[in-house]
Amino acid sequence: MADLNETIHQPVRLRTMAALVTLKPDEEVDFTTLRSLLGVTDGNLGAHLRKLEEAGYIAVNKIFVERKPRTFVAATADGRKVFAEHVVALESILKSK
Amino acid sequence: MNVSPSEAEEALASIQAMMTKTRRAISSSGAYIFLIIWGIIWLLGFLGSQFLSPVITGYAWAVLDTLGGILSAVFGIRMGRGVRSSSSFLSGKRIGSFWLLNFLYCIAVVAVSWPTGGKQMAMYIILFVMIGWIAMSLLLSFASIWPGLIITVLALVGFFLLPGIFYMWMAVLGGGGMIALGLYIRSRW
Repeated sequence: MADLNETIHQPVRLRTMAALVTLKPDEEVDFTTLRSLLGVTDGNLGAHLRKLEEAGYIAVNKIFVERKPRTFVAATADGRKVFAEHVVALESILKSK
Repeated sequence: MNVSPSEAEEALASIQAMMTKTRRAISSSGAYIFLIIWGIIWLLGFLGSQFLSPVITGYAWAVLDTLGGILSAVFGIRMGRGVRSSSSFLSGKRIGSFWLLNFLYCIAVVAVSWPTGGKQMAMYIILFVMIGWIAMSLLLSFASIWPGLIITVLALVGFFLLPGIFYMWMAVLGGGGMIALGLYIRSRW
């Protein structure tokens, strides 16, 4: 049986990963778009992204677009794998009810 | 880590809701908005062609097509702004070039064969738009090929078998069909 992942299970991080794994593997979403999708504040999202980045589940890419700094975020291959395992673990808890 | 079945259910529902929201907002399924925009334009334009004078219809189509082009560009840019990929810029340029060339070829064919009436002109445009739709479907999403083929067949049926109500036919089945398909994709995803 797959294990639950404590880092991913926190509600904001769970929704963040759900949004990121919905994108294609070569796609990344910008910070502002992700923030409005999740309905959280800059500081809150920033803190959760740091945790996910430290765990190696997401990659944060800071670049300049038309001389303005933009931050893009994507799920890593490891993040996608761990998230899929977490979903399987949640489903198995439901099945064993 | 202990998670109760109700917590697991809540977490899975939250994941599902977030995935749906993301697809609608930023993934390729956001393209439903283009179907709705162009469905409304076809609906209004062909209804105008059925009931209004050719001069007024010509102006109406020019205004509607311009509005459709502007709205498509605005939504396309807004959709693309939040997400980027290594391949999207190149694909966007190629898709834009394809539609521009498709439009120019359509003008060339109309100029060479010079249609005798509005219905024939409308059929040329419909056929070129549908060729473009099918080409895009083959490249981006194979399942989208079917609505393109169905609209083409319906247009040909209307042109050859129902010339008296051809515009009405295209308004309801072509325009209405595109709106219905757009709404269906939005609710399904």
